[in-house]
Amino acid sequence: MFVTDIRKEFYDVVVNQRVALLISSDIDALCACKILQALFHCDQVQYTLVPVTGWQDLGTAFLEHKEQFHYFVLVNCGANVDLLEMLQPDEDSVFFICDTHRPVDVINVYNDTQIKLLIKQDDDLGVPSYDDIFRDEDEEDGDDSGNESDLGSEPSGKRRRFDEILFDYEQYEYHGTSAAMMLFELAWVLSKDTKDMLWWAIIGLTDQWVHDKITHMKYVTDIATMQRHVSRHNHRNEDEENSLSIDCMRISFEYDLRLTLYQHWSLYESICNSCYTSCNFKLWSLNGQKKLQEFLADMGLPLKQVRQKFNCMDISIKENLRDVIEESSNKYGMKDIRIQTFGVHFGFKNRFLASDVVHAAAALLESTEKDESASDTFIKALDCLSRSNLERLHLGIDLAKKKLIAIQQTVASCICTNLILSQGPFLYCYLMEGTPDVKLFSKPMALTLLCKYLLKAFVHSTRNKRCKLLPLIMAAPMDVEKGTVIVAGIPPESETSDKKNFFGRAFEKAAESTSSRTLHDHFDTSSNKTGKIWLFLIELKTEDRTKFLDALITLLS
Amino acid sequence: MPIVHNGAVTSCVFFAVSGNSYSAGTFISSTVGVPALTHSFCKQNNPAVQTMDPSEVEFLAEKEMVKIIPNFSLDKIYLIGGDLGPFNPGLPVDVPVWLALNLKQRQKCRIVPPEWMDVEKLEEIRELERKEDAFTPVPSPYYMELTKLLLNHASDNIPKADEIRTLVKDIWDTRIAKLRLSADSFISQQEAHAKLDNLTLMEINTTRTFLLDSLNCMYKLRSNLQPGSNKGKALDY
Repeated sequence: MFVTDIRKEFYDVVVNQRVALLISSDIDALCACKILQALFHCDQVQYTLVPVTGWQDLGTAFLEHKEQFHYFVLVNCGANVDLLEMLQPDEDSVFFICDTHRPVDVINVYNDTQIKLLIKQDDDLGVPSYDDIFRDEDEEDGDDSGNESDLGSEPSGKRRRFDEILFDYEQYEYHGTSAAMMLFELAWVLSKDTKDMLWWAIIGLTDQWVHDKITHMKYVTDIATMQRHVSRHNHRNEDEENSLSIDCMRISFEYDLRLTLYQHWSLYESICNSCYTSCNFKLWSLNGQKKLQEFLADMGLPLKQVRQKFNCMDISIKENLRDVIEESSNKYGMKDIRIQTFGVHFGFKNRFLASDVVHAAAALLESTEKDESASDTFIKALDCLSRSNLERLHLGIDLAKKKLIAIQQTVASCICTNLILSQGPFLYCYLMEGTPDVKLFSKPMALTLLCKYLLKAFVHSTRNKRCKLLPLIMAAPMDVEKGTVIVAGIPPESETSDKKNFFGRAFEKAAESTSSRTLHDHFDTSSNKTGKIWLFLIELKTEDRTKFLDALITLLS
Repeated sequence: MPIVHNGAVTSCVFFAVSGNSYSAGTFISSTVGVPALTHSFCKQNNPAVQTMDPSEVEFLAEKEMVKIIPNFSLDKIYLIGGDLGPFNPGLPVDVPVWLALNLKQRQKCRIVPPEWMDVEKLEEIRELERKEDAFTPVPSPYYMELTKLLLNHASDNIPKADEIRTLVKDIWDTRIAKLRLSADSFISQQEAHAKLDNLTLMEINTTRTFLLDSLNCMYKLRSNLQPGSNKGKALDY
C-alpha cells in the first residue's frame, strides 16, 4: 500500500528498530542511501547496508538477513514485481519500498500488511482500482446458484476485461520521481534537511536525466521543485552583514552548458567527447572536425586557450563563455546546448556541477579493476558523494573522462567501419572481444550510455530515412570466462520520446523458442511480465547469440 | 629574585598564573657522566618529565559551558559532573561543549557563539596584545580550542566565521612569539625564576617540552663544567 504520512508510517516505525537497507546499484539509489544514512545517524538507528545488483542478489541478501531483521528498506528495486511471491518472507517482515521503476505491481499496491510503498501517489501512476482487478474472484464464488448458461459467459467476460486492464496498465515501463528526492522530502518533513542532503537529492535527479530515465518535461518540473528548496536554504543563513564562512556549502542554480565535465577538463576535449556536440558536428568524420574548427573560430576562441585546462583559461574568455557558446551553437543547429542544473561551491577551490558528480560516481561504481568486488566499488562510489572525500571524487572524474573517451572512440569506430547492421525491424551492433576498452561495456550503465550515443550518432550519420526510426540492440561480451554476453535494447530516437516505449516480450519469446540460456537479472527488466519495456538488459551465453537474434528478427518482422 | 643553592643553579621553577587554572612545570635533574646534549637524550633520562598531548588539552577545554538552542525537549538529566537541562525547544540552555557538539552533529540544536567570539572584541584584544610587552588577559582560558571546535562544527551558526578564525590566529601568533622571546631570554640570561601572567594551558603546553628539556640540558652542561660540586645528586623541587 502507499504510505500517506511518510513520517508516521515509515520513520517513526523504524527509528527504534534494526533495519536492513537493500540498495540497488545506481547513482540515484546511492544518493537516497546517503540521505537515509544521515537521518539514521542523527537518531542513532541501527542498520545494515547491503548493496544488490540484480534479482538474484536481492534474493540472496534477503535469505541471509531474514532471521535478524523484520524491517527491510528497498531502494530502487522491488516495486515492479510481486515481491512477496519472489521472496517468500515470514508474516512479520515488513518491506518499505522506495523505487522509481513503474508501473508498480498491483499486488504490491493492494497488500495492506507487509508492503509499504514510499511513492507519491500523484505521480500519475494510473493504478487500476481494486474492484476492476480483483472482482472476478468474488464473482466466481457467487455464481454457484446462477443459471448455467449465464455461468458460461460471465466469468470469461470479466476475465477478459481484467486481462485487458492489467495489460494496459503494465504496457509501458518507465521511471518515476527520484528516490533521493522522496527521501529528501522525508528529511524536510522531519526538519532535518541539510544542504548536504539537498545536494544529494539534486544528484539523484541529475542521474535520472544523465542516464535518460525521465523525460525532459519531468526533469524541468523536478528542477523547479529543487530550486524552491535551494532558495529556502540560501535565504536561511545569509544576511548582508553576516555572510557565511567560505567553507560552508553553497548550492546555486546554473543554466549551464551541456558539455560533460568541461570545468574539470579542457573545453576542446569536452566538446569532442560530449554526446550532444559530437553527434551534431559528426566529429568522427573529417568534415566534422573542420566544422568544429570553424565553430571555435566563429566564437573567437584561440586554439591554445581552448585546449588548456579549463581552470587555466584566460579569465576574459571564461566570463562570457556560456553566452558566446550559446549564440554560436544556435548557428550550427544545436538549439539547446544549455541545460538547467545546479552547482555546488565550498572552500576556495571546489566547484562541481551535479552532472560532474554523477559521471564520477558512475565511473567509480562500474570501474573494472581486477581485484574489486561489487561491494568495494559500491562503497567507493558511496564515499565519493561526501564532501570530505574529495580525492575520491577527483579520481572518479578521471575515470569518467577515460570512460567518455572510450565511448566516443567506440562510437566513431562503429560508425566508420559500419558495424551497425540493419536487421530488418531493428538495428544491431556487436562489440567483438578484442575491441579496445570493451571491458568497460560489460557493465549495464556504461553499455546503456554507449547504446544511446551510438544510436544518436547513427541517426545523424545515416541518410536512410527508414533506419532513423529503428530501435537499437547492442551486444557486448560480459564475462569472458563464463562466456556470457550482455544485450541491451533501446527504443528508437525520436524528438518527443516519452521514454515509455516498447521492446516486447519478443525478447522473452525469442529466448524461449531458441532455448537460449538467458538471465533476466537486471532490475530494469522483469521476466514475467506481459509488458513492453524501454530498456532491456539480459545476459546470454555467447553461443546462443546468433540463434537468439535470428529468432528475434523473425518475431519482430 | 634568583634562587641560588650551593653556589650553582640547580633547579628552576617556572610559574604561570592564568585566569582559573594554574600549572607549574618542574624538572628533575640527574647528573649523568656523558655530556651528550640531544633533546631526546635528555628526555629519555628524565622519566618524570610531564608531557601533555594537545588533544588532552582540547578534552579539558570541552568542559567549558556554551549556550545552545535545542529543538527537542527533554527533562533535566543528572550526570556525575552535574545536572543539565531541562531542554525545551527554542529556549537557550547552558551545556558543556562536548554535549553541544554532539547535539549539533545530530542536528538537534543551534549553537550560540560565546560573547567574546565577536569581530570587534577580538580586534580590540589583538591590538592590545600587539601593543603590550606582557601577556594581556585572554577572553577565555581555552580560547584557541573553543574557536577551533566551534568553527569546525558550527560555522554556519557563527557570523563572520572566517574573520574570527583569522583574528584568533593573530592573537595566538602574537602570544606565542612573546612566549618564545621570553623563554629565549630566560635561558640565555640563566635566570632562575620567572613569572608570566595570563597564559593559557594550550600555550604552556606548546612550550613545556622544549623549555624544560633545554633547561635540563643547560643544567647538565653547567654541572659538567664543575666536576666536583654536584656528584649525581638528584634535586627536585
